Amino acid sequence: MSERAAPAAINTAPKPPRSALARWWDRRGFVNCLRWGAIIAFIGAWEGSSLAGWLDPLFASSPSLIVEKLWDMVADGSIWPHVLASANIAALGFGLSILVGVPMGLAMGRSVAIRSALEPFTTALNASPQVAFLPLLIIWLGIGVASKVALVFLGSFLIMVINTEAGVAQVDRRLIETARSFMANERQIMLKVILPSSMPYIIAGMRLGVGRTLVMVVVAEIYAATKGLGYLIFQAGGLYDTAQVFVGVVILASAGIALNSFLRWLEKRLAPWQHVQAE
Amino acid sequence: MTIEVQNISHGYLARDGVSHFQALADVSLTIESGTFVSFLGPSGCGKTTLLRIINGLITPTSGEIHIDGQRVDGPKSDRAMVFQEFNLLPWRTARGNVEFPLEVQGVSKAERDRVVNRVLAQVGLDKFGEFFPHQLSGGMKQRVGLARALGVGPDYLLMDEPFGALDPQIREMMQLELMKLWDSDRKSVVFVTHSVDEAVFLSDRVIMFGTSPGRIVADLTIDLPRPRWVDDEAIKTSAKFIQYRNDIWRLLKRQLNSMPAI
Repeated sequence: MSERAAPAAINTAPKPPRSALARWWDRRGFVNCLRWGAIIAFIGAWEGSSLAGWLDPLFASSPSLIVEKLWDMVADGSIWPHVLASANIAALGFGLSILVGVPMGLAMGRSVAIRSALEPFTTALNASPQVAFLPLLIIWLGIGVASKVALVFLGSFLIMVINTEAGVAQVDRRLIETARSFMANERQIMLKVILPSSMPYIIAGMRLGVGRTLVMVVVAEIYAATKGLGYLIFQAGGLYDTAQVFVGVVILASAGIALNSFLRWLEKRLAPWQHVQAE
Repeated sequence: MTIEVQNISHGYLARDGVSHFQALADVSLTIESGTFVSFLGPSGCGKTTLLRIINGLITPTSGEIHIDGQRVDGPKSDRAMVFQEFNLLPWRTARGNVEFPLEVQGVSKAERDRVVNRVLAQVGLDKFGEFFPHQLSGGMKQRVGLARALGVGPDYLLMDEPFGALDPQIREMMQLELMKLWDSDRKSVVFVTHSVDEAVFLSDRVIMFGTSPGRIVADLTIDLPRPRWVDDEAIKTSAKFIQYRNDIWRLLKRQLNSMPAI
């Protein structure tokens, strides 16, 4: 066949010429300036109020005290055991919740029987505050890493199940029919149609799961821990070392933001068709 | 090498489990290999349902389909479908979409590449293999759909209103290109359409369906010269073409008038 239809679809009409700087400003600059401006204004106001004596640094700390504390802890290396302990628990717990949650969500989304059998449990667990299971987990699994990983898992795997299931529910029936018409079996339909089609939902679940994971890591480390960012934060709180509390919070928040940005990037890579309108 | 449709009836059950819609009632026909056959008729006449039954996607309530003597009990690689809404996987490129059925059937990577290159060139998309469906126009998407079906190497091409979602100019162009492609190997095609002109222009045989219940009301042989893509204007303005067209329209109007509601 010829390509008569092709160029019209690919070439977009040339835009009126504008300077590169003006285009950057339209696309990014204006929004970014406001964002960074707001952040700098907030930090400046905090630091200023502290210097002026309006805020008591003992209670509110100040950006410079936090940076100084962070710098000291990095320089003497005392921060790393805490970061590693928390990262270990977060990675194991969250990794496990993906490994269990995604297949479970796929199965529940695809089979009415499995969904009907498991739904009472997922609904009940989802409605209950999962933190309340911590005493039980400690009794069952001890005060080591296992109970902490279990709490993180409990807190984040349901989100993975529910989001994956929602992803399966929105898969275009016509694509499944097309795959069947080209002789795909149930396993191939699952792996080559349903899973990729649900990917944006699964990644959205992961983004929610990251937040839950960080909460659960901190909660788990309040009890019966000797290291970890949760331990660091609560120990410092007991000593009125507010700068160190904020060090822990800043590290956790940065990890959350970094993971979220990574997942957003991943979503764009894996589901480019979802971003057509946005671009 | 024939498709034998024997006493096919098919009903859909409504949600309440009692109401029942008779999509096809005791339909029989034989489709000879190497012919271009169109199913034409108003909405709800069961023409798409019959195509899906031939594909093996739907098991009919009663009756049997035999293809080359073998009973149809599911999709098989001797048949390939082209869908009205293209049904391309949005996360795969044009190339990835054409590759899909071959992957599913366990064809080796080297062989897949060879087939994909050949069929993409056949439909004029050899330069667009790396584009995603959302980057392609409607006509190009359907070329991908057609390439995907051709890649399977089917004996029977089943086309479900393939040009129905395209605008009129593109549609006419695609008809010409389909004719050109078809002339190169003359595979059997079963082509479902709403358009009288399209059916007459493309087909060797037009089978007309009527509604409530879905059934065959006419079976016409279209005796127009081939190739039809070289001078399509001459064909479309010929007395014979106009005669066929008017005959079919008359039958169709009778069907539409007998329908309870449109």
